[in-house]
Amino acid sequence: MRKISYLLLCLFLTATAAFGGGYQVGLHSMRSIGMGLIGTSLSADASSLFFNPGGAAFVNEKWSFSAGMSFVFARATFQAKDVNYQATLKHEVNLPFYFYAAFKPTKNLSVGLAINAPYGNRLSWGDEWMGRYLIQNLSFKAITYQPTVSYQFKNIIGVGIGLVYATGTMDLNKAIPLQGANGDATLNVKGGTGNFGFNAGIMVHPVKGLSLGVDYRSKIEMKVKGATATFDVPSSLKSEFPDNKVDVMLPLPANLDFGASYEFGKNKQWMVGINLCYVFWNTYDSLVFDFETKTSTINRTATAAMYESRLIERIGLQYQINKLVTVRVGGYYDPSPVPTDYMNPQTPSTNETGITCGFSIYPFKGFSIDAAFLYLMGAKREGTFSPENFAGTYRTGFSIPGIGLSYSF
Amino acid sequence: MKKIIFILLSVSLFVACERKIDEFSPSANGVNFTKFVAVGNSMVAGFADNALYLSGQQNSIPNLVAEQLKTVGAGPFVQPLIGTEEGVGVTAVTGGFYCYTKMALKIVPDKDCNGDPIGTSSIRPAIVNTTVDQNTLKQQLLAAPTVAGPYDNFGVPGVNVKYACVPGYGAYNPYFARFASSAATSSVIGEAAGRQPTFFMIWLGDMDALASATSGTDLLLTPVDTFAKYYPLATGALIASGNNPKGVAATIPDVTSLPFFNTISKQLPYNSVTLTAEQAAGLNFLYTQYGHGDIVWKEGQNPFVYSKPDGSWAQMQQGDLFLLTLPTDSIKCKGMGIANPVTYEPYPIPGQYVLDVAEQANIKTHIDQFNQIIKATAMAQNLAVADMNTYMKSFISGLVFDGIAVNTTFVTGGMFSTDGVHLNPRGCAITANYFIQAINAKYGCRIPEANITNYPGLVFP
Repeated sequence: MRKISYLLLCLFLTATAAFGGGYQVGLHSMRSIGMGLIGTSLSADASSLFFNPGGAAFVNEKWSFSAGMSFVFARATFQAKDVNYQATLKHEVNLPFYFYAAFKPTKNLSVGLAINAPYGNRLSWGDEWMGRYLIQNLSFKAITYQPTVSYQFKNIIGVGIGLVYATGTMDLNKAIPLQGANGDATLNVKGGTGNFGFNAGIMVHPVKGLSLGVDYRSKIEMKVKGATATFDVPSSLKSEFPDNKVDVMLPLPANLDFGASYEFGKNKQWMVGINLCYVFWNTYDSLVFDFETKTSTINRTATAAMYESRLIERIGLQYQINKLVTVRVGGYYDPSPVPTDYMNPQTPSTNETGITCGFSIYPFKGFSIDAAFLYLMGAKREGTFSPENFAGTYRTGFSIPGIGLSYSF
Repeated sequence: MKKIIFILLSVSLFVACERKIDEFSPSANGVNFTKFVAVGNSMVAGFADNALYLSGQQNSIPNLVAEQLKTVGAGPFVQPLIGTEEGVGVTAVTGGFYCYTKMALKIVPDKDCNGDPIGTSSIRPAIVNTTVDQNTLKQQLLAAPTVAGPYDNFGVPGVNVKYACVPGYGAYNPYFARFASSAATSSVIGEAAGRQPTFFMIWLGDMDALASATSGTDLLLTPVDTFAKYYPLATGALIASGNNPKGVAATIPDVTSLPFFNTISKQLPYNSVTLTAEQAAGLNFLYTQYGHGDIVWKEGQNPFVYSKPDGSWAQMQQGDLFLLTLPTDSIKCKGMGIANPVTYEPYPIPGQYVLDVAEQANIKTHIDQFNQIIKATAMAQNLAVADMNTYMKSFISGLVFDGIAVNTTFVTGGMFSTDGVHLNPRGCAITANYFIQAINAKYGCRIPEANITNYPGLVFP
């Protein structure tokens, strides 16, 4: 089992996703995805390490592992305002993954490691499209490594905290509206960085069957220092656009999540849960590029983002049919953090409604194959990125099947 | 069984995932666009970079408008295309014409006052081919267009409102002679009316002011009463041509919006002459010797001296504009504006390179009055107005379209061609969209705009 998890990890460590309000990704456990992405009040498996470190100590088994991967099929269409022009996102499959391992040295204490991809954005509109002076393609991915410790008192209250180390890489291409003999000039920015944050949570089981959780994941300031900036410009302009180093600053926003879930029915076959996730998007007010070698043309640019903080509402339901099969459904609403005047094709964010379903099959005790499917519909949205006067209507959609394995013993 | 249902459900959801948006739906709103005809001067002809050339014509403002009008029923828009990409520009000289190719940005070695290279170079507009002989250029200019007529673009570089109405104008302007159906007898307006447009665009009158302004004078301005007589005649002839057409008329831009007038003075202030007390005394003595004792030089900053069209000399004032044609080498090396260091003669800047404050004021007054006539005529004849005067002024501080920032700065501004008066393809696309907006606003139609990002700015070497 560990081997399989390890393989999965190696295979998909490089993958990431583009979806959700802004560039936050919510695909962290197939069981959670099946139930509308809830998780803050759940403690069924090692994924608690991420959703709420306070819940990890409630996991009964001494060892527990969970790993999986989603296949994100993103679709987006753009219709330019007043122009007879449409573009669609190039079809690429993004593969966000998760891996959790928890160990309980004592009945009340749990230690573990969570590795997953909570932020990312990868898309390609193509090199020739109408918005190429804003973005041609972008790949930004952050992978977090979170060693965690969790402790619970008397099966009633659990607290936990994890240290988060995030690694980020970015690769961005855009055209520059200056023409040489071969057409547009271009800019490529490529670089990586790492930084620390934390994840802390509390879980309470006040009465039998009821679980309440609160979790806070801190903001992580990703400063890509000295990324490589390569300009492809006409030779007469090379002195204005020297190949360069650039510092890029992109914040990964903090999250404050509340969750409640209740088990009921015969043998607690049923469970219903809700989550309220507040994302502190307001931290992302601009995307800053600070070039090391400055000229009269390139220097420090701050492209306004003006994101607004948003509350995501999630609900999920689980039914254990028998010892072999458990099924799940759920849904959520993820309002776009992007103001209408700042709709940027870099992150074509619309208000999104997600419908989910999933199941787990238990071939033998403690081991499960978990699958989930998320269908995410973005509302049609007209917007302008006013700093660059780029206007149109966007419509997005995602189909996200995923599969994972869990093993506890 | 459940698994199968689940898989089926998944597959059906995949298929449903393609995200459709309704495409732009054009609407003519009852306006008949089937026969579109354009009339005007160089701005309409697709003239750019100081010459008429093939791709310039293909990117002409009316051609870009016509392309969009096809979505609301317009037929083909035939232009009198010239068979050369290097193009032909024309300057009238005594007894005929002097021709040259277009200009383009080139890397030119910088030279000192002796003409020796100093090791640096700069990007400047330069004639693309200096070796073609006059005969070849004249043949290219007067050769039949590469596509057969009749034509729909009656943009004739150099034509003003009166000349557009004059029969036989082709005898005076090779740009009309090259495609006129009967150059000896027809007029530009007459031929355009002969096409019996259902919709027309007229951008006429720039030359009535700009021909004078680009010569550094206000003496060649068309008298306002002449303009008032001929402009309504021109539009009236088109409206009476048979198909009861609708149309759009454009106003004349202000000279301050054009790089030709606002570039050099930003780099070379009018009072860039720095003198010591001795130098000032010497120049005062020299100018007195030549009968211009009224011009007083002093220690410190002094204005350049220029000659006015009437032959009088004056010191420049704040607000006087150098034209783009100013030979800056002569300023730097030959004492132009002060005194010739070799012959020790006063050397005023020839008036053709300076548009002084008084001339600017007179030109502005004329342009304002011309524009009032254009607007009044358009209103009386129920035409849409593309107010290019107002629109071009908005580019002085700069606008941005789809990530492309443009302004009226020469070369780096991104919308004008290398001659500083005419637009490059990107500028043409931006302007074509403004015409389309004017048509949509007046007639309540929904004509799509051009995708500006399809049209290049200046090409850098």
